[in-house]
Amino acid sequence: MLPQKRRSATRALGSCVAAAFASALALRADSFPPPPIASYQITCRLDLEKKTIEGSEVLTWRNATSLPADTLRFHLYLNAFSNTRSTFWRESNGENRDGSLPDSWGAVEIQRMTGSDGADLLPSMRYVSPDDGNPDDRTVAEVVLPRPVRPGETISVAVDFVSRLPRVSVRSGYKGDFVLAAQWFPKVGVLQEKGWNCHQYHATSEFFSDFGDYDVSIDVPAVLRGKVGATGSRTEERETSMGRVLYRFRQQGVHDFTWTADPSFVVFRDTFREAGIGDAELILLLQPEHVSQAERHLRAAKAALAGYGRVLGPYPYATLTIVDPPWGANGAGGMEYPTLITAGTRWSAPSHVQRPESVTVHETGHQFLYGIIASNEFEEAWLDEGFNSYMTDRVLQQTYGSDRVVLPVFGLNFPLGIDIRHPADTNRRYYERADWDVLASESWRFRDRSSYGSLIYSKTALTLATLERLLGTPEMDRVLRLYSDRWRFRHPTTSDFIAAVRDATGQDWQWFFDRTFYSSGIVDYAVEQAESAPARAPRGLFEKDGKLSAGPPPSLSKPRGYDTVVTVVRRGDVPLPVEVLLRFEGGRTHRARWDGEARWKRYRVASGPRLIEAMVDPDEKLLLDVDRTNNGRRTEDDERAASRWTVRAVFWVQNMIDFLTFAW
Amino acid sequence: MVKNRGPRALVCFLRGMGRSLSKPYLAVALWLIQLLLAAVVILPVSNTLHALLDRSPAADRMVANPDFGWWETLRRVHPDLLGNFPDLAQRLLSPDGIRWSELSGLRGIGATAFSLALLAVVVHAFALGGLLGALREPSSSLVTFGREGMRRMPAFLVFTFAALGAAFAAYAGVYVRSGVALHDRVRELDTEQAAIAVTALRLLALVAILSLIKLLADAVRVVWVARPDLPPVSRFLFGLGGAVGRPLRVLGILALDVLATALLYVIWLLLDPSAGGEARFALVPLILAQQVFVFLRLLIKVGYYAGMSEALTRAPSPEYSYVASGSGPSVADEPAVDRA
Repeated sequence: MLPQKRRSATRALGSCVAAAFASALALRADSFPPPPIASYQITCRLDLEKKTIEGSEVLTWRNATSLPADTLRFHLYLNAFSNTRSTFWRESNGENRDGSLPDSWGAVEIQRMTGSDGADLLPSMRYVSPDDGNPDDRTVAEVVLPRPVRPGETISVAVDFVSRLPRVSVRSGYKGDFVLAAQWFPKVGVLQEKGWNCHQYHATSEFFSDFGDYDVSIDVPAVLRGKVGATGSRTEERETSMGRVLYRFRQQGVHDFTWTADPSFVVFRDTFREAGIGDAELILLLQPEHVSQAERHLRAAKAALAGYGRVLGPYPYATLTIVDPPWGANGAGGMEYPTLITAGTRWSAPSHVQRPESVTVHETGHQFLYGIIASNEFEEAWLDEGFNSYMTDRVLQQTYGSDRVVLPVFGLNFPLGIDIRHPADTNRRYYERADWDVLASESWRFRDRSSYGSLIYSKTALTLATLERLLGTPEMDRVLRLYSDRWRFRHPTTSDFIAAVRDATGQDWQWFFDRTFYSSGIVDYAVEQAESAPARAPRGLFEKDGKLSAGPPPSLSKPRGYDTVVTVVRRGDVPLPVEVLLRFEGGRTHRARWDGEARWKRYRVASGPRLIEAMVDPDEKLLLDVDRTNNGRRTEDDERAASRWTVRAVFWVQNMIDFLTFAW
Repeated sequence: MVKNRGPRALVCFLRGMGRSLSKPYLAVALWLIQLLLAAVVILPVSNTLHALLDRSPAADRMVANPDFGWWETLRRVHPDLLGNFPDLAQRLLSPDGIRWSELSGLRGIGATAFSLALLAVVVHAFALGGLLGALREPSSSLVTFGREGMRRMPAFLVFTFAALGAAFAAYAGVYVRSGVALHDRVRELDTEQAAIAVTALRLLALVAILSLIKLLADAVRVVWVARPDLPPVSRFLFGLGGAVGRPLRVLGILALDVLATALLYVIWLLLDPSAGGEARFALVPLILAQQVFVFLRLLIKVGYYAGMSEALTRAPSPEYSYVASGSGPSVADEPAVDRA
């Protein structure tokens, strides 16, 4: 028998091994496809003239909570475009990123809703507005069930509906014969332990739903033959009566279904294959005037699948469809849906500029961050958009290097010789809105769209990039992989991510997220003082041979070198650990770490070499620092840059004066 | 009566360039004027940049390569420096154009530059009077330039402001308004190429109108100086008629002027002496190169006006005939102004 001490140690070791084994099992328990909660079988018919979709769906829904459910809540997203009194319209002030929303209306009309026992559910349907109480908003409907659904029980609900598509301005709609059917069918919300999580459609929100299996049949006019793309794999194509075509698509393990059609699409196909990540067919639906950019789209999609997959794990789906919306339908572009993305490009797309690459990589990346790791886009939009922005910058930098500034001239784009670095420059819009809102806010609680975009996308990306620089890239990758492995096909929250950081690094990083995600404070460190003067002999009374006498002792009377003083200040509200670098004459340097908590820190060097410059955060780890121009200070002026730019400015003012006096 | 077809546009332009080269002080005068105007921004720009860059290590990167991040930070940290001037400049090059209400966002150096442009228009009226007057005299100097400039300034100010107003009206009424009117239709076009083509047509219409305004204004100025014997209204009408009567010739001269100037800019951008920071050009040679460029550009400008004068008036007006009685060859009896 083992001695007491060795028995304790063995027991402890055994516990660790068991825990690790259990964790490994837990990590592998969520195999693909996940157990479905909300599955749909939909049959629909597109009326290209009226821009309507008549559909019948059978929802198979499982109560995955521990509480009985006596109601069902549905998203009716298209009702956001039904009139100007909807919450979406009110919050957006009738504008989108391209200007005013058109006077073109959309809606979802439910014509019949019956339960699995045939009970008519429609009479009990009422619209609810859980977020803002807007009585005119019709984007969430609630029906009362004849009897509660027990925990674990599965029910079926049949719904007949007609979706009226608006002229596309925000994601869903039509333009000419182009159709993007997104958020087009009545979709059940997410039932959680605390009740229904089914938010209204807001100007700045996206979506949230449960995983399930989709089987969708789409009846389209013959003019759209071969020009239909959708979530999942196409399993059937056949002609129906009256010259129409029926397409059937199926996909397991997704939480949404989107489809598109356009007689103008030019179809390209390719294959992505990488061991450990997946094997997927790429289907590119491109506008005719962009066919020269086909290879760019496909390369970007492959780079994204590889770049994200190596960090976040396999891509489990058999297809990825990339849609290029036509001119005038920009609102449909730049969006993600399970196994289908909308990109978007311009006819004038210089090869050195990362468009369409950036949007293709970003939306493909959403397959992982949103599609597989299905966080709540209403309540914690940064978990998909911000995280994805961070990963997009990494993949773009690895694949293409820096981006280039573009000068748009009457619709044509010309690259300038100015680099846009990832992520420091691509997320610079954050700095203008740095203190406008707390990042960790529900998507509809931001001051405006620009604040939402700057914080959710850019601040999150910069925060994660800062974390990466503090941890190191290999450790950051371990964090992301642990997070992904734990939460694939599930609904994580920010706390779950913070826990993954803690578990992967063995350190508590809550303080970091408290100061970044949960704060609207700004980060700004500056070098306020950097002086280096010849050392001077001290003056006064000094002890010599036990007596005070005037003048310094011989050892101090002839000082050599320079006395240096450097003061670094924290101008921002948020303290973060930071490094300080002092660079001296002769190539010597001194690097110090400061916890950044106090308002200032002073460094003194006596009788040393002359200081040339002092820098705070010399390696630019703190990407959240809102002003890098004050991060360094020289001891002596170097007027060359200012003089050169003054000369340039005067020269171009001369040219501008000549140009402006030319025409009259 | 033999119909005199007159010289072609190229001949007029080349003759104009010859006269410009023979009177380089005219280009020097214009260069001085533009330099003095531009000098207004030297102090504010210089002080701001020195304060921002002299002690900043970021300046080293700026010297080597333009730094996008620094530019964005500058705009954010010092919003009053430029205001919305960069955005307006970008919108000027967009299919939508600029609306006058947006000018209220100009600040600091941006507002200074805009005010400078208006001042330049006024000074330009003086300079044109001096230029055209000096071109008319067989022997002239900077004194002639100054005298003629002051003499013509009241009338030329009227012409300049009238042309300026017409140009602004054309921009707002033709370009901007057509953009607004066509906005929804353009978005319904099938392709972006079609949309760009619509923009190009709008732009072409604007350029055509601006060219017409400029040619009419310049023709009036030329004849105003050339025909002091006529009453003002007649001079004005003769000027208009001069341009209307020789449309291809004056348009050709303008086109040659634009082409020559554009070529100069292309050469400058290709050579790009500002690039590479200090590795390629030290500051003094850079300044010299820039001012030589400006001088050459102004030589072409003077050549244009001389060419217009050639096209619209071929012989000196009676006021400038200094032939002494009884000496030298007799002056041929030919019309003072080339009548189409």
